[in-house]
Amino acid sequence: MTKRFSFSNANRRELLRAGLYGVCVTAGASMPVPVFGQAAAQLASQAKADGKILVVLELSGGNDGLNTLVPYGDDAYYKYRPNLGIKKNEVRKIDDHFGFSGGMAGFERLYKSGKLAIVHGCGYENPSFSHFTSMAYWHTAAPNSGEEYGWVGRLADAMAPEAPPNYVVNIAARQSLAVRSHKHVPVVFDDPNKFTQEKFYQEREILGSVSPDKDGSNPARQFLLDTARSAKDASALVREAWSHYKSPVDYGITGLDLPKVVALIDAGMPTRLYYTSYRNNAFDTHVFQSDTHKRLLTYASDAVSAFLTDLERIGRSDDVVVMIFSEFGRRVPENVNLGTDHGAANLMFVAGKQVKGGQYGTVPSLTKLDAGDNLVHTTDFRKVYATMISGWLGMHDTRTLLNGDFGKFEMFSRTA
Amino acid sequence: MLRKGGLALPVLLALPVLAQKAGPKTWQNDLTPIAASDWNYDFAAHLLERAGFGGTPEEIRAIEKMGPQQAIARLVRFEGADTSKLAPFDESNIHDPGLEPFPPTRPAVTDLAKAKGEALGIKVKPAGNRRLQPIVDEFFYWLRASALETNRVGYWWANRMIASSRPLEEKMALFWHGHFASNEAKVRDYRKLLGQLELFQKKGTGNFRDLVVAVAQDPAMLSFLDAGVNVKGASNENFAREIMELFTMGVGNYTEKDIREAARAFTGWNYDDLKFVVNKEQHDDGEKTFLGKTGRFDGVEVIDIIMQQPATADYIAGKIYRYFVRQDLSPELQKQLGATLRQNHYEIRPLLEKIFLSRDFYSQASVGTRIKSPVELAVTFYKELGLKSIPGVPDLNLATGALGQQLFAPPTVAGWAGGQSWITPGLLLERANFARDVLFPDISFLPPDRFTGGGEIRRVAERIREGMDISTATSDDTKTGAKAESNANADRDEEFNTRYGSFRGSQMAIERVKPIPRDTAQINLSRMVRGEDLKTTKQVVDYFIRRFMRVPPSDEARAKLVAFLDKDLGTSDISVAQTYMEQSLRLLLHLIASQPEYQLS
Repeated sequence: MTKRFSFSNANRRELLRAGLYGVCVTAGASMPVPVFGQAAAQLASQAKADGKILVVLELSGGNDGLNTLVPYGDDAYYKYRPNLGIKKNEVRKIDDHFGFSGGMAGFERLYKSGKLAIVHGCGYENPSFSHFTSMAYWHTAAPNSGEEYGWVGRLADAMAPEAPPNYVVNIAARQSLAVRSHKHVPVVFDDPNKFTQEKFYQEREILGSVSPDKDGSNPARQFLLDTARSAKDASALVREAWSHYKSPVDYGITGLDLPKVVALIDAGMPTRLYYTSYRNNAFDTHVFQSDTHKRLLTYASDAVSAFLTDLERIGRSDDVVVMIFSEFGRRVPENVNLGTDHGAANLMFVAGKQVKGGQYGTVPSLTKLDAGDNLVHTTDFRKVYATMISGWLGMHDTRTLLNGDFGKFEMFSRTA
Repeated sequence: MLRKGGLALPVLLALPVLAQKAGPKTWQNDLTPIAASDWNYDFAAHLLERAGFGGTPEEIRAIEKMGPQQAIARLVRFEGADTSKLAPFDESNIHDPGLEPFPPTRPAVTDLAKAKGEALGIKVKPAGNRRLQPIVDEFFYWLRASALETNRVGYWWANRMIASSRPLEEKMALFWHGHFASNEAKVRDYRKLLGQLELFQKKGTGNFRDLVVAVAQDPAMLSFLDAGVNVKGASNENFAREIMELFTMGVGNYTEKDIREAARAFTGWNYDDLKFVVNKEQHDDGEKTFLGKTGRFDGVEVIDIIMQQPATADYIAGKIYRYFVRQDLSPELQKQLGATLRQNHYEIRPLLEKIFLSRDFYSQASVGTRIKSPVELAVTFYKELGLKSIPGVPDLNLATGALGQQLFAPPTVAGWAGGQSWITPGLLLERANFARDVLFPDISFLPPDRFTGGGEIRRVAERIREGMDISTATSDDTKTGAKAESNANADRDEEFNTRYGSFRGSQMAIERVKPIPRDTAQINLSRMVRGEDLKTTKQVVDYFIRRFMRVPPSDEARAKLVAFLDKDLGTSDISVAQTYMEQSLRLLLHLIASQPEYQLS
């Protein structure tokens, strides 16, 4: 990688805020660029620093909520989980009923310092037990329907109909349905170091330009042309942000993609919506789950708690919340393979400095399960989405966005 | 530079062939076979990219000469094609007795060792420090060795894709690998995955019902879907669910009750190392009611009932169509394709022939509208360059993995989503970088199968060599402030040290796994240009576009490519640039592979 001309850190940040950094960098030294024109003012205004940021973290595979926040005060739990049940003395107690799985020191700390909201019993009517179907329902916020666009994508459309570049970031190997949008082309990348078109000096000019082609007859070609434009808009910014990111905070064995989010926030990217996941169906623990599940939770809890510490470090902890979900919980009775099968209602978590920590919603009954031995949901998950959309991001028309009125929780100290 | 007058004519002749030809719009959804008179070079090129991994102009012309009927028959009914020159996989011999059954996690291994005094064929030390360490080392050895050997299997397979005279055999195996997806990360045994691949190669174009039965009894699949622990009295539904949801019918065609009943029928199905076994005592022989039928079904009977559902043929025919033709498929067309499969008793070849011969396959909606998967992108690029084997630099598995498709590593049981999901802004750029790594090999390339990645393993290795004790060598002191719980756990010294085990296991693995040859691509674009007698930069650009792209870039982009080549060569006259044009031609090809349209097949 050839290094282009460098800015001082302060300058770089200013330019990033104004959305101009990439323009200068991409153009290189050979082409004069009108830096302070009308476009500049426009970019600057859309990148207002007061915007609150929502980060969504997906735990893919169906996290076992009962072994995440253990209802150690409920005998029914141990009845259904004679082998897998986590013993009273091994949980990290947060009150006289619940305690976190043993490795979740990070979540325990967040909860006890009032930065973690737990929402009980989240789910939807007629739950699907298929990973892919249920995940699609959560992605679109439209269970049992064929909605084509993701809820984060639709939210972006509502928040910024003019679809400025770099508004939605999805750190992933492939784009999530959740960010699929009418108007926005989400920035999707995995390894920031590789988010670059490597070019030789001679190729700079030709690779620095994108032909503004339209092709109505071949949608696949049109899609590629749009994607090429989004890549050009974002790649230099992301890479520069990442190369300047250095953090002393210990994220544990895997930070998930949360350090990348901090790097982008710190660099002043105009992104308001980030989407990341604990990938590859990791939480699908059908057999011998106890060691594996405990490890997954430890990693996730380490990463989220470090994320908040890191945000504090860069002075942005008041601007960011992270919402955590999984496509379903798991069957209440353990199976004979020391694992659990696909279930229904589950916990959601919201973490952040501005979050009013505590427990929300109604704890589902462990003695009144549905016919398939699953927890019956007590909160429609879209109520939590509505809480993020309205309570945190200040978009009050959640009815249109979510195709229904699900109410919301009062979850933030500073209301939008 | 001014063009010499005598060159004008060939330039004019070269231009009209630039636009790729597709059949008329009215051919869309029409399964009528095309006529021999419709057949041309572009159709042959389209067929070869879709039913195989593309080809050189010579190979395309050979297919063109055969005419559609014969060309398709040769591709689909390939038994006559000789593959004796393809070598079988060259094993490294890394599997030790005692490794099977391989425990699911490291804690399971150490618990077993504590309880039994041995595990993985290795005894616990009677006294001294870290009595379980050799067992933990062996655990990590096998994890690493199996992963490395699987990468060698990936190379072996990709070499068949490029070299086999039966490209469809490999293309179909790749389809089934994504359909019946198992990954090394979970199976952790290259031998099982190799066995599964050979199953796909052998039966992939045969009978679908037989294939499903074979896959349901395949050790890699049984291991991947935890079927081995599905026993009478408390069935594990994972296996039955995926068989119905992903492998045969698709969601919405069965109930949760059907899944539970089917799971009972599969109880007792297990594997013993590389063999399928049925544990009679664990099999639930009772009566089941499944999809409206009642009986004392076993797994095979459940599969046969699934095959009687119209949804099954429609689902699988539709998925095959999407793989070979295009993503959007009307319900009517899907029903017709499903009917073809049913009428042929689930024989796959008649369906493939119908698709490849159909007007629909050559219609505007189908030609140049499919996004190449990463493995197809790599193999097709090499094949269209005229290479006969897959270069070792860049590393194929790392390169295609970075693009989202590493062989034997599908992300989930649903395989790869395909279509537009192959492309993100990040991946689009990464695709062009792959071409650059082929055309301009990195001179500091480190073979990933020799130089074990991961800063931590390297750090531990260095400190151990310096003579540090294990505790000091393995402690992570790169972070300051509060320690994350997971790192605190890894630092804990018990009767073994996992960081040391991870290092030592890697060391043992590189000793025993054979290296991947690290040759670079032997490319000579100058010879290609001279061989075609191309006289101007315009002709060169058009020739490259036609050879490497199915959808040409816009006129504006094409003009920029010509201007680039003019400038880099210092002339538009190839006869002048003959002796020094190689590097410029490679830059040109890199630019072509960077066009958004290059991703289309």
